[in-house]
Amino acid sequence: MEYKEVTTSIDGAWNFSKWEWKFESIALIGRTFEAMKEHKLLGNKCPDCGTVYFLPKPFCRCLGMPDEFVEVKDTGTITTYTVTGAWGYEGITEEEGAQGEPLIFAGVQFDGADTKVVCVVEDVEPEKVGVGMRVKLKWPDKLEGAITDLSRCTPL
Amino acid sequence: MGKHHDVAVVGVGLSKHVSKRRDVNMPELVWEAVSACYEDAGLKPKDVDAFATGNMPAFEGVNLPEEWGAGHWGAYGKPVLRITTGGTTGGSVAHGGYYLVASGLYDTVMAIAFEKQSDGNQTFGLNTVALADAAAQFKMGVDPGFIAAFGGGAVGVAVYQASSYMKSSGCTTHHLDMVSALCRNNAALNPYSHLKQPGLTPEQVAETTLLQYPIRFGHVCPSTDGACAMLFTTPEKAKKLTDKPAYVLSVSSCSDEAALVGIAGSGTTNVDPCEQESCKIAAARAYELAGIKDPRNEFDLAEPYAPFAHQMLMFYERLLLCDEGEAPSILDSGSMNLDGELPVCPSGGVISTNAIGASAMERIAECAVQIMGKGGERQVNKEVHKAVAHGWGGAVNLNVVAVLADTPRG
Ligand SMILES: [Zn+2]
Repeated sequence: MEYKEVTTSIDGAWNFSKWEWKFESIALIGRTFEAMKEHKLLGNKCPDCGTVYFLPKPFCRCLGMPDEFVEVKDTGTITTYTVTGAWGYEGITEEEGAQGEPLIFAGVQFDGADTKVVCVVEDVEPEKVGVGMRVKLKWPDKLEGAITDLSRCTPL
Repeated sequence: MGKHHDVAVVGVGLSKHVSKRRDVNMPELVWEAVSACYEDAGLKPKDVDAFATGNMPAFEGVNLPEEWGAGHWGAYGKPVLRITTGGTTGGSVAHGGYYLVASGLYDTVMAIAFEKQSDGNQTFGLNTVALADAAAQFKMGVDPGFIAAFGGGAVGVAVYQASSYMKSSGCTTHHLDMVSALCRNNAALNPYSHLKQPGLTPEQVAETTLLQYPIRFGHVCPSTDGACAMLFTTPEKAKKLTDKPAYVLSVSSCSDEAALVGIAGSGTTNVDPCEQESCKIAAARAYELAGIKDPRNEFDLAEPYAPFAHQMLMFYERLLLCDEGEAPSILDSGSMNLDGELPVCPSGGVISTNAIGASAMERIAECAVQIMGKGGERQVNKEVHKAVAHGWGGAVNLNVVAVLADTPRG
């Protein structure tokens, strides 16, 4: 039997892309992706406080149940943003030279919505981006029916 | 107000805090804090009626730590209450210890919080916390690189929170550099802190690597192995043990939507990540329970929970210690310095030391230490009559607040 002078470290990894849970929000958001095929952005509205959720949400912060789909515009405002630095898009790395192009991620509140979605803002230098900047969704040529359809914006 | 009993703090114990303690296992690390706490209070395990404990679940790669540790804490045969609430764990554990005494059910209670991060894999640990949200994102077609690129976990929240806070408050990146310099210099005076950087200047912080705008390497907490223990008891017993106990006047916590930007398992969130309405609600409730009428002028010290530089200023505001947007200019004035009017994070703060499960308790412990006048080199340059401690965590939706003082509510 061996006595250890130093203690151990446990490694581990879970492949969370495999997990199958029931998310009410996914059913609602699936409807939004369907509507995007007709170039419409569908959110939902809380009957109690009027908050419009985009993407749609099954319950409201006021504990009301949003029950009405409403259309929001494809133009919006940046409410917050970040620019990727040493951690590149191609994976988490701190090595100089291994990093990808800096990407601008922004919380975008589309006109008519009260909530934000995260989009990549393109066609602009990182130094020129700011909170309050107006942007427009870049509709993809081919819609995938997934969040990637909604992931790119350009300055208005 | 209320029928609960007053609660005194008679002992605080901290382990050595470093990034990797390979020389001790988890119970041994915790014992360092526990034994120091017994010694500080002049009590023995037989004097303790019940225990509250907690750490961040899964960060060590083992669960049920109370099974491992009860013997080391002197808890065999005693009630043990385990509480884990993410980043707020230590605060919630201290609240648990407080409630056990305040309820009148137990006289003397030890609260123990810890994290031995080097024993486990934090990415794995965070996965267990953020699993549902990440799984939901995958379902909606977000690819793993996209999630990795904006950090995920608390960093992913922090960058958006910082951008948004800076816009609404006028806080600049120079203010972030100043916060780091202030905290790390305080930490240099604290024997229990992790990152000690005496003489660190804002200019040096500004030269550190940009992780993600606006957060630089110098604006982020380290990953720490460490533990904290506190002993709570009745005012009657406290008077027999020490001339100068600290008192917990009130505790309060408040939960809100997860302050994430974008999609989560429960759908998109409504809140702006820098709003932290739940902190304002928890603070207001804690102040009311404590009989604090004018928080801006009644406190002598604040320990907000700030693993990221902007959070020290943001939570200073959300703890109702000034108007919203006013904290950066208060920092400029020097009021937050160790010798200032209302010193902030005299311990060096979470940005200098982050043994996650222990961190929120260490905010409360620092307030107690400063009230008891045991701060050594980092003791603030004034009598501390009232102090406020804060924690932020849960699924980035929970805020915990505690008010401590040198006299009981009466
Ligand atoms: Zn509502």
